Amino acid sequence: MSNAHTAAAVGLASCHLCCKLSPAHLQHCPRCGSRLHLRTEESLQRTLALLVTACVLYIPANLYPIMYTEHLGAPTEASTILGGILLLIELGSIPIALVIFLFSVIVPSGKLMVLFYLCWSVHNHQVMDAKQRSQIYRVTEFIGKWSMIDVFVVAILAALVHLGDLMVIRPGVAAISFAGVVIVTMIAAECFDSRLIWDNAEQDQREH
Amino acid sequence: MSTSISTATSTRTRKASGSTTPEDSAARRVDETGADLACPGCDLLVNVAGLHDGESAACPRCGHTLTRYRADASSRTLAFTVAALILLVIANSFSFLSFSAGGLENQMTLGQTPGTLFEYGMPSAAFIVGAFIIFIPAGVLVMMVGLCIPLLQQRYYPWLRTLAKGIFLAQNWAMVEVFIIGVIVALVKIAAMATVYLGVSFWAYVAFAICFTLAVASLDRYQCWQQIEALESMQ
Ligand SMILES: [Zn+2]
Ligand SMILES: [Zn+2]
Repeated sequence: MSNAHTAAAVGLASCHLCCKLSPAHLQHCPRCGSRLHLRTEESLQRTLALLVTACVLYIPANLYPIMYTEHLGAPTEASTILGGILLLIELGSIPIALVIFLFSVIVPSGKLMVLFYLCWSVHNHQVMDAKQRSQIYRVTEFIGKWSMIDVFVVAILAALVHLGDLMVIRPGVAAISFAGVVIVTMIAAECFDSRLIWDNAEQDQREH
Repeated sequence: MSTSISTATSTRTRKASGSTTPEDSAARRVDETGADLACPGCDLLVNVAGLHDGESAACPRCGHTLTRYRADASSRTLAFTVAALILLVIANSFSFLSFSAGGLENQMTLGQTPGTLFEYGMPSAAFIVGAFIIFIPAGVLVMMVGLCIPLLQQRYYPWLRTLAKGIFLAQNWAMVEVFIIGVIVALVKIAAMATVYLGVSFWAYVAFAICFTLAVASLDRYQCWQQIEALESMQ
């Protein structure tokens, strides 16, 4: 595929919000007024900065309790994300344990790793097929918000379960940090410009 | 479903103009390449003109779905949007879930999901949850009503652009379907400890989530902006 087929190669910038093609020298999109760039500004740096932030938030999200359960007479039970999953396995709710494990552990950590890998691959002109990489990116972008499940579960349980002294469920601080992880990784995925993968591939092809 | 697309020269006619404003030169530049849009995923120039009703176009290089043309897109979107708004009002008016154990019972409404987080001293979490499950979806729906009615009436107002911008910026941040899965997981988690009843609001929210998803899917970004631009040029 030759370079001349892309909008950037003929000096046109595509608006990220309304898809209009405009000359690249314009500051703002003439149709919707959004800022206009050939490629997302500082895409890799911004994505990396957000990924590091998400990693930092991920530590308290896993160390602190996401939920407290108070039973009549029994001491307050604090459960972390992983602790909650282990408890579910003990109680025999394997399918729910799997769902929470998938969306609270695999998806957020996998998403961080994929985005780190994509940034690294663009920076180092990695050889992995560009089409495969952009498919991985689209999956990552799509699946990100599903990690909010655990935060919603805590919110619902806290609202539903307060039966006087008999049984009370309270939310823990990890819910906030975990929501932060999800939101920051979603923004990171938005900041990553997948067109860079293809710019890379084109450049490499020309050089060979 | 997908038609193949090429970068062949477009034969579409554009608004003729003698002046040389940046907009006109942009239009000329686009005409020279013959492309209607650049793939947001890989920047390949593609020509998506001449899609038939119900057809969608995907990028030949990276596979990104570019646009889907539906002749009745605005009325479809409006129908799902109005249905979703009504269902959201119902979902906020009745009991969402109720829970009983040891002779005690507790009932909750949808609004209590963020409300309780606030009571427990977590306003930021309450704000996030409330925004994702109620306020952002409601805002997107209201803006879509405001957009679809003028589009159906073929009337142009300058604020149509602001509405469209708001819709396309906010729609990724609605998490209605995620919330439903969250409710189901929560129910299974406490099913062993107590009896849980699903309220009217729960079912209304499920129906709302379906209508909301269909409404958002009916409003195609590219086609919508093309329509706004066409209405403006007709003035
Ligand atoms: Zn624009
Ligand atoms: Zn593409």
